[in-house]
Amino acid sequence: MIFWKRTFPLLLTFLLGVTFTVQYYVPHPASESLLTEVSVWGQIIGGFAILLGVGSLIRSHYVKIKRREAGWGYSGVMFLSMLIMLGAGFWSGGKTESTSFGWLYNYVFVALQGTMFSLLAFFVASAAYRAFRARTPEATVLLVAAILVMWGRVPLGEHLVSGVGYIAEWIMSVPNTAAQRGILIGVSLGGIATSIKIICGIERSYLGKD
Amino acid sequence: MSAEVVIGAWVAVGLSLCMYSFLYKDNPFFKFGEHVFVGVSVGYLLTITYYQVMTNKLYIPMTQQGKWWLLVPAFLGLLLLARFIPSIAWLSRISFAFLLGISSGVAIPRQISSFILKQVEGTLKPVVTIGDGGIAWLTLAGLNALLVLIGVVSVLFYFFFSLEHTGTVRRVARVGIYFLMVSFGAAFGYTVMARMSLLIGRFDELMLYASASYGYATPVLLMVMIAGLLWWERGQSQKT
Amino acid sequence: MSDFVVRLLRLDRRIIFLLIALATLLPLLYPVSLPIRVSPEVQRVYDYIEKLPAGSLVLLSMDFEPGGKPELYPMAVALLRHAFQKNLKVLGLTLWPAGAGLAETAFTEVAREKGKEKGVDYVFLGYAPGDASAVISMGQDFHAAFPADYYGTKTADIPLLNKVRSLRDMQYVISLSVGFPGIDTWYVYGKEKYGFELGGGCTAVSAPRFYPLLDTGQINGLLGGLRGAAEYEILLGVKGKAMAGMAAQSATHFVIIFLIVTCNALYFLTGQARGRQR
Repeated sequence: MIFWKRTFPLLLTFLLGVTFTVQYYVPHPASESLLTEVSVWGQIIGGFAILLGVGSLIRSHYVKIKRREAGWGYSGVMFLSMLIMLGAGFWSGGKTESTSFGWLYNYVFVALQGTMFSLLAFFVASAAYRAFRARTPEATVLLVAAILVMWGRVPLGEHLVSGVGYIAEWIMSVPNTAAQRGILIGVSLGGIATSIKIICGIERSYLGKD
Repeated sequence: MSAEVVIGAWVAVGLSLCMYSFLYKDNPFFKFGEHVFVGVSVGYLLTITYYQVMTNKLYIPMTQQGKWWLLVPAFLGLLLLARFIPSIAWLSRISFAFLLGISSGVAIPRQISSFILKQVEGTLKPVVTIGDGGIAWLTLAGLNALLVLIGVVSVLFYFFFSLEHTGTVRRVARVGIYFLMVSFGAAFGYTVMARMSLLIGRFDELMLYASASYGYATPVLLMVMIAGLLWWERGQSQKT
Repeated sequence: MSDFVVRLLRLDRRIIFLLIALATLLPLLYPVSLPIRVSPEVQRVYDYIEKLPAGSLVLLSMDFEPGGKPELYPMAVALLRHAFQKNLKVLGLTLWPAGAGLAETAFTEVAREKGKEKGVDYVFLGYAPGDASAVISMGQDFHAAFPADYYGTKTADIPLLNKVRSLRDMQYVISLSVGFPGIDTWYVYGKEKYGFELGGGCTAVSAPRFYPLLDTGQINGLLGGLRGAAEYEILLGVKGKAMAGMAAQSATHFVIIFLIVTCNALYFLTGQARGRQR
């Protein structure tokens, strides 16, 4: 049983990892066909992965209702909204144009998600006032760069101080590019190292607990 | 304006104001809106998954194109869901192994090519150019290329934690820190821009729904929300 | 004086919220139009589409969900208007499940406005699951990746898709992205192997990290945030939602700058800075 629970998944990861690393360098039609087929499989399995996240959410809210935990009524609201959306979705055949599903999408989902994200505007202003202090030379450099970019990327800023737009553009194209490139190279090297560790079975956290 | 559009406007405004009530403090209106959002998201995701994935990518190819071997990835997908049943949760490891093996294998050569080789190539630009007019030493392009080179190298030095940051390494890493600070400052400026854009988008819509053609939804519901919050606040203070 | 300054430093955040709300609302109620300079990275996207001959295939991947709508939806509308004006053939899809509805709305509204026909002038393919797998699948065999379009019509029966075998057949791919998967997914798993030209649009929050790709030419242009969308609208000569929002953008930015400068001035006035230096 240990073989199927532990060894087989690790072996599968290794074989597939090596195969598809090597596949990149083999332009033979058989190799390309393999990539074509497996990428379609990846799309289908990726679709099922969405259900995994959804299932976890449904389970946690169900447990909350079952145990009558604090705020369980809101979990009931969650289930009711989900069922209404699902019902409208299947009634409309998954189409959004001029359907009840589309109506719920535009006037409920879009409105709620848009508003939720827009709340951040207020909190970024509050955080900037409370925490953005030029305590050190590094913080001062950060502050000055932030102000120049905020000033230079709006029409009023460019109207008040001519040329500040070019300064903002230069900040983005030169020092920002340099730093972000350094970060990108570093993160990519780290990502590649992690991928190699996964393929070689050194990194096994994706298997979960025994 | 059709009835469904007007009703939709009132619903959108009401739910938006429920979310904005959080700016006052956490309250039942916000919690209600938050849970409606979660429910509607889940319902939407499930519907899209059924029609766009199960039907379009599985059912149609299998039944109309004879691709019955797609039952294999479908089975692997179902194995993912075994995670919810403790006695057979280990079966999901097979699907995860499949997904991770392929994604890791596919990522390695492409990331090396895209994010390492190409980016290093982009860093190594000529600082001095030689043309018909002779050698051009101090062009703006050359200076910028030199700055980018210095920036990339110094930032990489900063992130090289397995080497002790003393002496020359420390000085180079300090230069890297300043490049990072400029970048983070620029990122903060752009973050402010992004967040404010989201707010502008919502306010624009709320203003549209404040008009007579939508039955003055925004001002009416704003007054209802304020009254509701005051009533709730009164209830809270009476409890304490 | 010192107490007053300390109290100002601990200002109730709801007053700051009110300032931001007013800075957003007032310019929307009383708009002020100021000239907007077009940046080179936006100009490059415009110029590339402008040079494409009629009938060229353009793939627009609207990789965002409603949270990115204020910035990316105006970009999508502007790009679609431009593409349809040039009589380009447009394929639409999204790598984000929650974005399918928004993407469909953009296509149907602009197509109706420009008198374009579904299946002949444009195709909307819907949501493509699997992130990198989706892009690779399209790069290998487009019809295998999309057996049917968003509406369930078999792609083999759609006239526009008869000449499409893979991503290599695209003259231009534009990804409007709110995060991952997005522009980098299209580059790493798409352009890198299949060789199409790639342009990008993104929310302002992710724009700084795409500048290295812009610098190396891995993406030929970038529309960053609401400002990028406004610049594209100017190039098109159409006053859309993005341009209308720039006055409010200016006001809010200056409020934030004022808050930062004020809090630093107050911070130094309290002598806290001097106390720390001792």
